Amino acid sequence: MTEAGSASGAGTIPPGLGMDADNLHRLGQTPVFDPVRVEEVINRYRGKRWVLIPLLQEIQEVCGYIPPALIPRIAEAVGMFPVQVQGVISFYSQLHTEPRGKKVVTVCRGTACHVRGGRSILKVVKEHLGIEEGETTPDLEYTLETVACIGVCALAPNMMVGRTTYGSLNPSKVARILGRPKAASGGD
Amino acid sequence: MNKVTITLDGREVTGMPGETILDLARESGINIPTLCHHPLLSPNGACRVCLVENERNGALLAACVTPIEPGMMINTRSPRVLERRRQIVELLLASHPDTCMVCDKGNRCELRCIASEMGVGMLRLERIPQYGAIVDANPFLVRDLGKCILCGRCVKADQELVVEGALDFLGRGFGTRPATLQEVPFEHSECTFCGTCVSVCPTGALRERDALTSGSTSEQVHTTCPFCGCGCSVVLEIRGDRIIRARPGTESPVNQGTLCVRGAYGFDFVHSPERLTTPLVRRGAHLEPASWEEALSLAASGLRRLREESGPDSLAVLGAPTGTNEENYLLQRFARTVLGTPHIDNGARLHRAPSYTGVGGTLGYPGTIGTIRDIECAEVILVVGADPAASAPAVAYAIKRAVTRKGARLLLIEPRRTQLVRFASLWLRPRPGTDIALLNGLANAILAEGLVDPDLVTTRTDGFAELVSTLQRYTPAAVASLTGVTEGELVQAALAFGSAARAALVYGGGVTRARRGTDTVKALANLALLTGNVERKGTGLYALQTRNNAQGACDMGAVPDFLPGYCSVEDSAGRQKFEERWRTRLPAGRGLSASEALAAAVAGRVKGMLIVGENPLGYFPDPFAVEHGLKCLEFLVVQDLFLTETAALATVVLPAASFVEKEGTFTNFEGRVQPVRQALPPRGESRPDWQILLSLAEAMGAPLPFASVTDIEREILELVPFYEAPSLGLEAGLPTREAEPWARRRLHERLFPSTFGRFLPVEYVPEEEPSQEFPLTLVTGSSLYQFGTGMRTSRSSRLSSLVPRAYVEVSAADASVQGIWDGEQVRVVSALAAVEAVAKVCADQPAGVVFAPLASPEARFNRLFPAVIDPQSSLPVLGHVAVRLERGRLDD
Ligand code: SF4
Ligand code: SF4
Ligand code: SF4
Ligand code: FES
Ligand code: FES
Repeated sequence: MTEAGSASGAGTIPPGLGMDADNLHRLGQTPVFDPVRVEEVINRYRGKRWVLIPLLQEIQEVCGYIPPALIPRIAEAVGMFPVQVQGVISFYSQLHTEPRGKKVVTVCRGTACHVRGGRSILKVVKEHLGIEEGETTPDLEYTLETVACIGVCALAPNMMVGRTTYGSLNPSKVARILGRPKAASGGD
Repeated sequence: MNKVTITLDGREVTGMPGETILDLARESGINIPTLCHHPLLSPNGACRVCLVENERNGALLAACVTPIEPGMMINTRSPRVLERRRQIVELLLASHPDTCMVCDKGNRCELRCIASEMGVGMLRLERIPQYGAIVDANPFLVRDLGKCILCGRCVKADQELVVEGALDFLGRGFGTRPATLQEVPFEHSECTFCGTCVSVCPTGALRERDALTSGSTSEQVHTTCPFCGCGCSVVLEIRGDRIIRARPGTESPVNQGTLCVRGAYGFDFVHSPERLTTPLVRRGAHLEPASWEEALSLAASGLRRLREESGPDSLAVLGAPTGTNEENYLLQRFARTVLGTPHIDNGARLHRAPSYTGVGGTLGYPGTIGTIRDIECAEVILVVGADPAASAPAVAYAIKRAVTRKGARLLLIEPRRTQLVRFASLWLRPRPGTDIALLNGLANAILAEGLVDPDLVTTRTDGFAELVSTLQRYTPAAVASLTGVTEGELVQAALAFGSAARAALVYGGGVTRARRGTDTVKALANLALLTGNVERKGTGLYALQTRNNAQGACDMGAVPDFLPGYCSVEDSAGRQKFEERWRTRLPAGRGLSASEALAAAVAGRVKGMLIVGENPLGYFPDPFAVEHGLKCLEFLVVQDLFLTETAALATVVLPAASFVEKEGTFTNFEGRVQPVRQALPPRGESRPDWQILLSLAEAMGAPLPFASVTDIEREILELVPFYEAPSLGLEAGLPTREAEPWARRRLHERLFPSTFGRFLPVEYVPEEEPSQEFPLTLVTGSSLYQFGTGMRTSRSSRLSSLVPRAYVEVSAADASVQGIWDGEQVRVVSALAAVEAVAKVCADQPAGVVFAPLASPEARFNRLFPAVIDPQSSLPVLGHVAVRLERGRLDD
């Protein structure tokens, strides 16, 4: 209340990483990104015009996602309001404000894949990773997503891990690709 | 430029290139419905309600964003257009909740108007579910996003007009909504509750809280905000005897469709149950209600008796900047001709005097030169000792617009982190009390870099040689060691300011309240002259005025040193003009200022006082001395809205009408004379101050020749040369506009009345160092939600509910030395007194400096200040004082 009450109070979001530390604490994690590199990236774009999108993409590459606590700093560097930066991030489905896995597994749910058993592939992947769609494994290795069509229907069923596409999938091939035992059977 | 001709609904019409179809249609009297378009905001093209058809190629175009092109054949009402518009409105309604009947927006809802114009009623579409209301606990606005049509006006109003950055769209597709950062409630966001987004929202998605439910109001009154010196134009919506809401005037070049929280939500003090409704007279220890006849005759006989027994010099008068020009004019005439005393002062002088002495001496015109619009055209804006976001928000908006929309560079000289810091390209933080050294240093560096305006300096000014020789001592190195600002920063600022083609200089209370404020103003004026930043658009020297009619009260001569229109009381030729007009002899020589009069009261030389609308006990330094002075008076008459601390000491208290209950004019800090219009009858038996003064004059047997405000105005027009018609706006429909005479006057044709500008070199004089006993420097300033002495704002239900407890901002460094926690109760102790407040620890406050808002009704920080009088302006100093902090409460 007093903060809003002081007309000229500085921004209400404290600088630093407080909020994400909280988020990650909830996930049982510590921040995984390198503050020095983040600093370097932000400074490289500082004061330039029309650089918000590339800056955000690079932050996402460095951190795996865009930590909300960095938004005020990013905004300040490019001369925008934090709320504008937040709006831009939320507009692009490729930008994320939640931690993401190092590898994004994208299982195709298009028609071609569906008729060739795409649904059970998704189920197998979920079992392996122990997460649902849109979630990230607690070790921040994998994030699971689905997509309407990867564009290689001839090889269906398909999925992508990172930027690599894998076709003609079956459960054992999935296990090989993900290279880890089913989450349900306990980790290593 | 070649004009463009198009066919519009079968008619040939011509417009300028770049104009939109909508602009041209409106000029030609053709109505195209719009929803997202707003004349004050950049085009958006979101809603498509304004579709029109180009019959040449069948294209459907959004009229509000499509520029006209030669040969277009636009049909605004083709069956196709009408059908598509209808579909669009139906879609909007499909996702709109069914609560129109009880919606507070009522007939002001533009969606409802458009739907009914198009005859869109029953919906043929499946409803799309939408968001519910958002719970905001703030006392000002409610968000009901179910009613949001995503027009984007609120976002643009917030980012483009008031530039607070509280809102933007969040999400995509169906999930899109205007949101704050992290979707926190407004009260935790950057929102300052200016209400501007509410005023542009076309639907009920954003509305004011607690406006008395739905429907329209019976009456609208255009008037001028009575809080700060910006003088925003407001539209009051009235029902019965109440102000239902206040909207920004959109035509005003001052606020340009914006307000601040005080103007938007602060007017309900006029409905406060604490308003005085009858005269009060003292019977023994108590003030008791009395009739007007009794109170007036008592007041008149008391004043008359003192004048006869002890001479007119034993009487003093103190007015207030809250009064209209007409009232201030009348008050000084009453003092000088009815009472016959030279001792007339007003509370506005507290901030104004350094300006009119400082700027008057150098530039020759005693006030701000330039307009808010000029600030917006500047390339570089230098803000010194001011926190306009709190003291003069409309100016802060203009500065931020200049920075974000026009690429202006903002240079700040300010010890505290104010809201403007975020927008500044350079922030200099001199030690309190060293402003003059810094400004001289800047001027010196500008000289060294050869950035002076040679033409102006050589042909049109005096005193340049003296200035140069004074400035020599202020080398970057010397200034850096005095002020704590680095040499690099100093030179950088000098280069930026000196090389700008158009630079504006804005200063505020941090300068005028401080010791040697007059000299600081002179240093600023020297800087403006040196760089030629006068006399041109986009330049100028701006004295922010914290109190609304401060400029007008001084213009009207309600000051001890000037007759109306800054005719010096010592100028016998000038005095003669007034003596002839008023058919009386005027007291010769300068009168006593209010502080001097109170001191004279203690000495027994002043025995009676008339105080109109001012509360020196809440405002002046060393209120114990003030109280002592007031108590030494034999006779005190107070006219006010409320029983203030000062009124409580009076013999007679006369209830005054508020700004909505009277007519007149206010002059804003730019010098713009604007109308004050009556919207309500005076509360209870209260009367406008001007009527009270006329009755008082009559009761004293010396009636003044006025029967109405217009009569007084006529005399002002005659005697105050720069209040030319038609700038007094009583008859005009709207507040005055750019083109009128005052603007010519400010825009510099006659800038140097003596044909020369004059450099008045000033020297930095060191002040005493903080002692061991009082190691910290307390600086005071304004706060947005509390105003003046808080007399009015603390009685506004919504403003006062947001008032933080009295606080003092402490640097993290000092806090950790003393082990003070954020939110802890502390005592602020000066050599004079102690005040209790809550510590607010601020990471980037410089060490050694603590800050407190001057207007805290529960903690009168003015108590901490000794009654030091600045000799040049005869003003008490409220700039900074040495203090220490102690943990705990006062009685610990
Ligand atoms: S009230 Fe003013 S500051 Fe708050 S969101 Fe609306 S426009 Fe922005
Ligand atoms: S809240 Fe109002 S102004 Fe803002 S986008 Fe929605 S409808 Fe438009
Ligand atoms: S900026 Fe000043 S004049 Fe304008 S609404 Fe606010 S208090 Fe009133
Ligand atoms: S449907 Fe799976 S790749 Fe096309
Ligand atoms: S008014 Fe033209 S698109 Fe909304």
